[in-house]
Amino acid sequence: MNRLIKRFTFPVLLLLWGTANVFALAKFPTIYILDIKGNPILHAYVNVGDNGAIPVNADGALQLPEDLDKEETLLIMAMGYDNKKLPVKVAMENPSIVLEEKIGRLGEIVVSATRTDRSVEDLPMPVTVIGQEEIQETGAMRLSEVLREQTGLQVVSNHGTGLQMQGLSSDYILILLDGEPLIGRTAGTMDLDRISVSNIERIEILRGPSSSIYGSEAMAGVVNIITKTNKQGVTGSLQARYRTHQTLDLGADLGISQNGWDIYAYYNRFRTDGFDLDAETPGLTSSAYLSNTFQTKIGKTFSDQWNAKVFIKYYNEDSENFMEIDREGTGFLADMLGKRKDLNINPTITFKPSNNWTFTLRSISSVFDTESATIFQEDGELMESEDFRQFYHRTELQVDHQLTDKQLITAGAGHLLETVEATRYDDVNRFDAGYLFAQHQWNPSDKWNVVSGLRADLHSQYGSQLSPKVSGQYQINKKLSWQVSVGMGFKAPDFRQVLLNFNNASSGYYVFGASLVKEGMEKLQQQGQIRQVLMDPSQFGNLTAETSWAFNTGFRYKLSDDLLLHGNFFRNSISNLIETSPVARLTNGQHIYSYLNVANVVTQGAEIDLNWRIFNGLQFSAGYMFLDSRDLDVLDRIDKGELYKRDASNRTKVVTRADYGGLLNRSRHSGHVKLNYYEKVTGVDLALRGIYRGRFGFGDINGNLILDDDMEYAKGLMVWNLTLSKTLDNGIRLEVGGNNLLNELNLHDPTNAGRLLFVGLQSNLHQLFK
Amino acid sequence: MKKLIIWNLVLFSTAFMFSCSDSDDPQPEENLEAVLVENLHAPADVMDRQTGEIIELNSYQYYSFEDNELVVSEDGNWDLGIKGLSMIVNNGISGDGNAEAAIVQGVFEQYNSIPETVQLKSDTAEGLAIPSGSGNGWYNYNMTTHLVSPQPGNILIIKTNGGNYVKMEILSYYKDNPPMSEVNLTTPSAYYTFQYVLQPNGSREF
Repeated sequence: MNRLIKRFTFPVLLLLWGTANVFALAKFPTIYILDIKGNPILHAYVNVGDNGAIPVNADGALQLPEDLDKEETLLIMAMGYDNKKLPVKVAMENPSIVLEEKIGRLGEIVVSATRTDRSVEDLPMPVTVIGQEEIQETGAMRLSEVLREQTGLQVVSNHGTGLQMQGLSSDYILILLDGEPLIGRTAGTMDLDRISVSNIERIEILRGPSSSIYGSEAMAGVVNIITKTNKQGVTGSLQARYRTHQTLDLGADLGISQNGWDIYAYYNRFRTDGFDLDAETPGLTSSAYLSNTFQTKIGKTFSDQWNAKVFIKYYNEDSENFMEIDREGTGFLADMLGKRKDLNINPTITFKPSNNWTFTLRSISSVFDTESATIFQEDGELMESEDFRQFYHRTELQVDHQLTDKQLITAGAGHLLETVEATRYDDVNRFDAGYLFAQHQWNPSDKWNVVSGLRADLHSQYGSQLSPKVSGQYQINKKLSWQVSVGMGFKAPDFRQVLLNFNNASSGYYVFGASLVKEGMEKLQQQGQIRQVLMDPSQFGNLTAETSWAFNTGFRYKLSDDLLLHGNFFRNSISNLIETSPVARLTNGQHIYSYLNVANVVTQGAEIDLNWRIFNGLQFSAGYMFLDSRDLDVLDRIDKGELYKRDASNRTKVVTRADYGGLLNRSRHSGHVKLNYYEKVTGVDLALRGIYRGRFGFGDINGNLILDDDMEYAKGLMVWNLTLSKTLDNGIRLEVGGNNLLNELNLHDPTNAGRLLFVGLQSNLHQLFK
Repeated sequence: MKKLIIWNLVLFSTAFMFSCSDSDDPQPEENLEAVLVENLHAPADVMDRQTGEIIELNSYQYYSFEDNELVVSEDGNWDLGIKGLSMIVNNGISGDGNAEAAIVQGVFEQYNSIPETVQLKSDTAEGLAIPSGSGNGWYNYNMTTHLVSPQPGNILIIKTNGGNYVKMEILSYYKDNPPMSEVNLTTPSAYYTFQYVLQPNGSREF
């Protein structure tokens, strides 16, 4: 009997001990916080009882503390995701907890709107964010391809691929790279094909005049391209994409974070054969080119208070095209070769002596250089060549002070200097400017949110400019908020308008920039070439900035966690638009032209967007924009009956308001629809997008120099894009897709290449080699 | 017999009075018809675009509105001379005649009378009656398409060598008067199609 007891005691005790352990383990349950694809959300944290916020570990897991009351509620939060509340016992039954992304990216932190970090839903101005996933699903290789799919933005061609926002063209949109302005515009257009996409973390788009913080060019709004930075550990990735027309995009990046150092380096190589929409005319619609981008970011955190970083970016590009030139009645082919380079160096020092004070000293130095040559193919003779070089430097100090927990004050001052030399301009020209700005962000109550700003600019060439702006948001209830914003924007005259010295020898006319017109006129006067002066001589050379007043008002209506509706109404009133105007008549019957502030234009319209998460894994979005643009002087002449048109049989009629179509290259109606589907079994992500660009005027055909006839419009187009992608377990991401699947072409839109098919591959090396 | 003669005279004079009532009406009873001139070829001098030198000289086409035909030499009874894009009148520095011109705005069919404020001019050293250059005279030159279109709404008023007034509208600069949407760089140019109305009684009304 005793032997039996002895024999069984040990195993029973063991069993009891084991069971006790099992029960003990049950007191420390682990929960996992994941996103809809099953990936851990590394920045999530859990609020439980009085224990405060507990962050998840590197696997997205969290061990709950012991002695937890099963009826207690867990609050799980992560930035960019909807909060989730559930009782402890439910969490224990199903420890994999999935958080849903905040619809419409409302939780994203944006820096462009106020130069301080604020989330989208807190901002009283229309802001949108394009995240990395959205960029990847467009299959884009260049920035223009990403922005093309946004409601309210139009990609247009004018000496490069530019942007149009709220009906205002490229010249009036400020493009920033990591918060610093990009330079190098041709005829006002910043060519968005210069910017590679594989290292972009997110793109912030701020609509409405923002000259109160950013100064010149921020009239229609701001596009801020924020590139990746390395934040922890060692990371590396390789990307490759291949597309129709022998287009190949290769990228590699490497990041190291250690001992307070954050180092990131990126290289991209892009080449394409270009494409041709018009087989009859010699030459390609879009040139073949090869470009390289190098970027490096080095940052060091010295202490809690001091941080310094340097961003350096270098870009070069070689392009090739050809055309037919008429020489003595015969057409000869000539090669057009172009080279473009730019280099940006941007150091920043941040000093945070306490929680309420931040001092940022930053500077940017940029060089932009282009060379072009046209050479006859037959004998290698140089027909013409042109060079352009621009240097830009800016130093700025920004001070942010949290006055109270409801008020944040920002003040700043800066100096900028620009030089330009070109074949078309005399000498090396230099411009200096200084500016001061101040901004007040105020949350007087939970429902109210007001941002006001003012900036004063003083420029060596065009005098001074004062730009105020006020924006306010009222939270009507938990679901609905309304915002209003009124502000001023301006755009300084560009180099061409100030410096150009051009003479068309065969036709006999002259174009002088504002700084040269007085001297040019005097010289021609002495030569006896001027027959009549058409403008008041005291006004020569007085060229001021173009200015605008804009009104934006909109709402955000979150019908549920899965349905968001937001809209924005806008009206921009632009005056002093600079255009070429005749200033004198010459004895040969031709004219002297210069640039004068003459025009007044209004653009107005409304945008509405819907984001709907039908169920977890299926998301639908749609957007529509209505745009009305008009030249007020043209309307005036129409009302006075001073404008005429010719019909199809060349008979004359008076133009009526109903005939007038507004400004060229602007669609009255545009929009998009998008479907995102994540298929759980195969793990494939599907993104189907349809982009509509309504009909737009491309030029004057009937001879009255305005848009007023059906034959002057290019037809509207609906373009369908589809991307399929899948991320494998080892982190390799595969993608395949096509843009403009139905091959809808428009001869008047040279940015539309027709059907493009692509395949791509991306690998995060640190995941691969884990 | 005498009574018959007097009675006939009274009858005739009464009839005459009634039939003369038309001459009290100041408006001319017949409507003036517009004359359409098609494909009047007026080539400009041929120039080498690289050097600017003139390779081939062409002369003006001298046109008479009264006779609706070209006049062979510059000494003849012509009113308007056309060469390329340029238009001259038979007066001043361009000819020995008395023609004058001005440009007004309006719809051609509805333009019925020349206001007193419109001063017709002849060609002088200061400038041509029909000014040259895009946007100044009768045409617009579109720098993007490189095409010439008559400025819609521009009507040329010409006083002929004989002293009569003409309103003229240029319909097209291109052969066969195509609508501008069909014109491109290969369309033969300097083939003028225009319509005009001549007022033979010397008044400024049409």
